[in-house]
Amino acid sequence: MLEVENINAFYGEYQAIHDISLKVAEGQLVSIFGPNGHGKSTLLKTICGLMKPASGVIRFDGHEIQGLPSHKLVEMGIVLISEERHLFPEMTVMENLRLGAYAKPARKKESENLEFVFTMFPKLKTLAKKRALSLSGGEARMLAIGRGLMSNAKFLAVDEPSFGLAPILRVQVFEQIVALRDRGLSILLVEQTTGDIAEMSDYIYLLEDGRIAFSGSTDQALHDDAVRKVFLGIT
Amino acid sequence: MREFIEVLITGITIGIVYFLVAVGFTLCYGVGRVLNYSYGSFFTWGAYLAWVLAVGYSKLNYVLVFVIVLPIMFFLGVAVDQVLIRPLRKRPEFDFSVILVTLGLAVFLDNLVLVIFGARTKSLPEFLTGSVKLGGFTISWQLIAMFIFALVVAVVLFVFMARTRTGMSMRAVAQDPTGARIVGIPLFRVFAVTFGISTLLCGAGGILLAPRFFMTPTGGWTFLVKALIIVIAGGLGSLRGTLYASFMLGIIEAIVGWKLGLLWVMPFWFLVLFLVLLVKPAGLFGATARKG
Repeated sequence: MLEVENINAFYGEYQAIHDISLKVAEGQLVSIFGPNGHGKSTLLKTICGLMKPASGVIRFDGHEIQGLPSHKLVEMGIVLISEERHLFPEMTVMENLRLGAYAKPARKKESENLEFVFTMFPKLKTLAKKRALSLSGGEARMLAIGRGLMSNAKFLAVDEPSFGLAPILRVQVFEQIVALRDRGLSILLVEQTTGDIAEMSDYIYLLEDGRIAFSGSTDQALHDDAVRKVFLGIT
Repeated sequence: MREFIEVLITGITIGIVYFLVAVGFTLCYGVGRVLNYSYGSFFTWGAYLAWVLAVGYSKLNYVLVFVIVLPIMFFLGVAVDQVLIRPLRKRPEFDFSVILVTLGLAVFLDNLVLVIFGARTKSLPEFLTGSVKLGGFTISWQLIAMFIFALVVAVVLFVFMARTRTGMSMRAVAQDPTGARIVGIPLFRVFAVTFGISTLLCGAGGILLAPRFFMTPTGGWTFLVKALIIVIAGGLGSLRGTLYASFMLGIIEAIVGWKLGLLWVMPFWFLVLFLVLLVKPAGLFGATARKG
């Protein structure tokens, strides 16, 4: 489904990611763990067209997509759920969701997807007429995920969905993500700490200083002593 | 007293026209981050195009003049955005270079008017002549026509911004450009449409106000300054603030023009702006600290 080959990306002079290659197969949940500021968000932004890689190839369903503008990628079904959320603050929850279905392929399924989002996050339905800026952190996070789901995505890049959430909400959000994977979506997830989501993933990468420090199946990762100690914090 | 109320009606009418002009200016900045110094020249061009159709080269009906000039202004705006503004967006110093480029464009457009039409002032005749007596008040048909034209444009604009997909995407880009990219809104297309609508609104203002003022090749600058004053007094980025400030300053213009003469209008506008900012530094409806 998604193949990243040897991409490099810079902020000005500073190289944020070095020669990264990874794969997400159809229907897989792949997780990338690593400390803050080590290139995780940059990697997702590069895949989703918010940043251009300096070199390397990104393939989606066999098409080369590196350097395409973000709206083309959204039309292809590649959607980012940003850690910074990037909601439209002055608009209502409903308007935010409707804009999630902006891309042409999503318009036809707008009402169907809306219903799905409301069954997934019933809270959003009661908040429909509230402006996004008045939402709490958890509600805004739900809205960001809901808006991403409105786009009829085939591939979701999810950036730290649990960031700043209470533990109970954290578990809920992870369960929803797993449920999405089980519905057939391919998901690339990024987190700082692993918690429960590592065990639910199909494949795991560890990112350190913008480089891939480890890659392997979930079993391999959980049994690798170095990985357990350094990255997963399990002893 | 009767005279005062007639002046008030005039003030409200020019207020709504100023609202169109000011809103066009804010849109351009709010959505596209373009501080458009050529805005006044588009105003001039709207007025001169109307003059060409209504006086200079044919004697078209005003409704037709609107139907022809407004789309021309829209496409002129789109063309300026695509040819001049879009290439600048790649640069890191966009905010500043766009000011210089639009300033240069203004000088070019003004001088083009000078070359084509000469320096002598022109005037656009009133849309309608005569007046009507309503409950003891005398209101000119011209004023009524102006009011209706401006109101129709304003209502269409509001519905467009609130209900249509394009209007929503423009608001989305203004509120969070990255968010807009995430949901798949093509930014460059939205910038172009916004610039077109902005230019169209400015041109509409030019046509509506031309019968009140003499037209000169550099006459548009006054209206750039007026748009700026309205937008700042109302609070940058607040549509409601822009609306109130337009009516307030329109009424002040009518009263000052009636009592002291039109020459005193701008000093009073600046005085009002000064007083507003003294009491509310962010403008009438400006948030003191806007987030996100």
